[in-house]
Amino acid sequence: MATETMSSSMGARIRRSSRPVTRKKSGEIRRSILPTTMLWVLAVLMAFPLLWFLLSSFKGGGELFTYPLSFLPREWTIDGYARAWERIDFVRYFGNTIVVATITTALTVFFCATAGYALAKYRAPWLSVLALCILSMTMLPGEVILNPTFSVVRDLGFYNSLIGVILPSILTPTGVFMFRQFFITVPDELLDAARMDGAKELSIFFRIMLPLARPIMLTLAIISFQWRWNDYIFPLIILSDPKNFTLQIALRTLIGSENIDWAILLAASVISMIPLVLLYLVFQKYITSSDINTGLRD
Amino acid sequence: MNHRIRVAATVVAVGALMASMTACSSGSSDESAPLKFVLSGDATQGGGYQKMADKYFEETGTKVEIVDVPGDDLTTRLRNSAQADDLPNIAAAANVDPLWKDQLLDLTSIAKDANVLPTLTVEDPADNKVKALPSSLTSVGMFINKDLWDKAGVSYPTDASQSWTWDEFVAKAKQVQSGAGAQYGLTMDASAHRLRSFLYEFGSQGVVQDGDDFTLDDQAKTALEYFKTMNDDGFMPKSVWTAGDDASATFKSGQVAAYYSGVWQVADFQANITDFAWASVPTPQQPVKATNYGAASWIVGFSGRGKDDATTKFISWLYQPENYTAYCEIAGCLPSVSGLNVSYPKNAESFAMYNAEIAASPAVSAVQTTDQLRQGYEGKSLDVEPLKDETIKYLSGEQSIDQTIDAITAATKAALG
Repeated sequence: MATETMSSSMGARIRRSSRPVTRKKSGEIRRSILPTTMLWVLAVLMAFPLLWFLLSSFKGGGELFTYPLSFLPREWTIDGYARAWERIDFVRYFGNTIVVATITTALTVFFCATAGYALAKYRAPWLSVLALCILSMTMLPGEVILNPTFSVVRDLGFYNSLIGVILPSILTPTGVFMFRQFFITVPDELLDAARMDGAKELSIFFRIMLPLARPIMLTLAIISFQWRWNDYIFPLIILSDPKNFTLQIALRTLIGSENIDWAILLAASVISMIPLVLLYLVFQKYITSSDINTGLRD
Repeated sequence: MNHRIRVAATVVAVGALMASMTACSSGSSDESAPLKFVLSGDATQGGGYQKMADKYFEETGTKVEIVDVPGDDLTTRLRNSAQADDLPNIAAAANVDPLWKDQLLDLTSIAKDANVLPTLTVEDPADNKVKALPSSLTSVGMFINKDLWDKAGVSYPTDASQSWTWDEFVAKAKQVQSGAGAQYGLTMDASAHRLRSFLYEFGSQGVVQDGDDFTLDDQAKTALEYFKTMNDDGFMPKSVWTAGDDASATFKSGQVAAYYSGVWQVADFQANITDFAWASVPTPQQPVKATNYGAASWIVGFSGRGKDDATTKFISWLYQPENYTAYCEIAGCLPSVSGLNVSYPKNAESFAMYNAEIAASPAVSAVQTTDQLRQGYEGKSLDVEPLKDETIKYLSGEQSIDQTIDAITAATKAALG
């Protein structure tokens, strides 16, 4: 913080003292040409497959593999969408997925915040051991603990219910770790001051700590929502009744044992993306900053 | 104070929500609950069973619920269901799984009444009961891009009574490649099922058990070497076998003269090939006329789900001639029972070709799926396909032909011996 203010005030002084504004601007433009072009090239590279995918969903089944491939559909059709809508009960599967994603996300944020806070601010030997245990969980891929988790969920009687999908995904070590690292940076004096003012531990957490941690909460909420929206393997083995399927499972059922109806699959995949795109439009600002934390995983 | 109440209220609300969600999870042995039928359908097969379920409901008032799961995950799903004591009533499974083989209904009398093909009627060696019925017949066959062949002016056999050898086929397809500017002469699914058929056509018996050991004959060696030559000299797209490219997509591009696949493609081609004409031609033989046919999947009924009678009744209904005929016509598949007269709305000549080829095939052509079923009854399952996996290594130059054959037999022994 301190260095930042210093360097910015120095920058201001330099600006004030020398060179006319116009020359500086042209220099800025010159300097920005290369990075801007590179960014545009990258953006086009990233957008190209996505655009192809979007445009392909408007092609007929007979046109998908014709040679030469064309970027734009030769004949625009929404037949794929019509059949996808008919074949998949989107309302139900969207509903299930939204229930799973929102409830899990809300619980994840809450429990990760409490756990992270406890690990950062309370001193007890067993707490550090617990912290180590939680941290070591990040080293296990989810697939490794798939079978034991399945057994636990089954024995709890949650097989084939949405809660069976929600429960195991609530506590993510990554989330706990994010909160712990954040709360460590909050000075202990703040707590002591609050305690001297007579605040109880719970109100310190809810009134002071949680509001401070808002950026972390939003970041985790967004990431967690994306994780749960795209979850595949766990819902697949927990949910057996098509009424309880999440969207991803329902989409996969379009892939048959010997062949795939690509026209339907493309259209259905596009439809399944819409809610996340909407989410992005609303929370754009926070998502961009949450993506700085790439490399995180559940 | 206020926030504490709010927190408490949230906790209660979440708890209530969870409780309500668990409440709707159970309840499978309920009398009025529909029969659950788990399968992995393509648009056609799954759609076919859905229509049969609708018809059954109209006729009897019994509801059958079709649960369509992804093809790759069907085995996992049924295993997990078995572990959670949540097996469906009926399934169209790839094979009988050791995990649930003891919970199957006896379908012997249905098999007998429906005239299920004797080659596909497999009794459990333990108690001589038939517990799995073939859903339909699949068979390997050759498709050609008719437009390319006609453009190059190359002739091809059109009737099952005519024949050609692989040498003749390759020579002609190469003419098409140069004459019509096709990119490749042949593409073939990267699958052990198709490869077995190819071996049979060279006179091989495939991997056979010999006492405790498994062996692969010299004809198989010749066939695999022939296959590598085709793959290496630009006649087949290398990416299909060695890099997992989709063979059917390469054929649909209209750039490949021929496609070695199977009868299940017919329905897909009808819908998704619009810019060239295709045809089924006799599979080449060198010198054996053979295909590889078997059950598309195995229909099993699960016992102890509280609906044994209703389940048996539905399966029996499904295999009654008029219903089974209707299914084959809707799903566009070959019947696995004899004495049916199926009239396909389109491409009847393709289906006739497959039927003729099956009839002309040697006994070995029928054993793949029935062998696997027998192994399933005995509690063994081949979860890997050494024939395919090792052949891929051979094609990519990782090992010699002799090493490949040793590896195939060794891996088969490890899984089944």
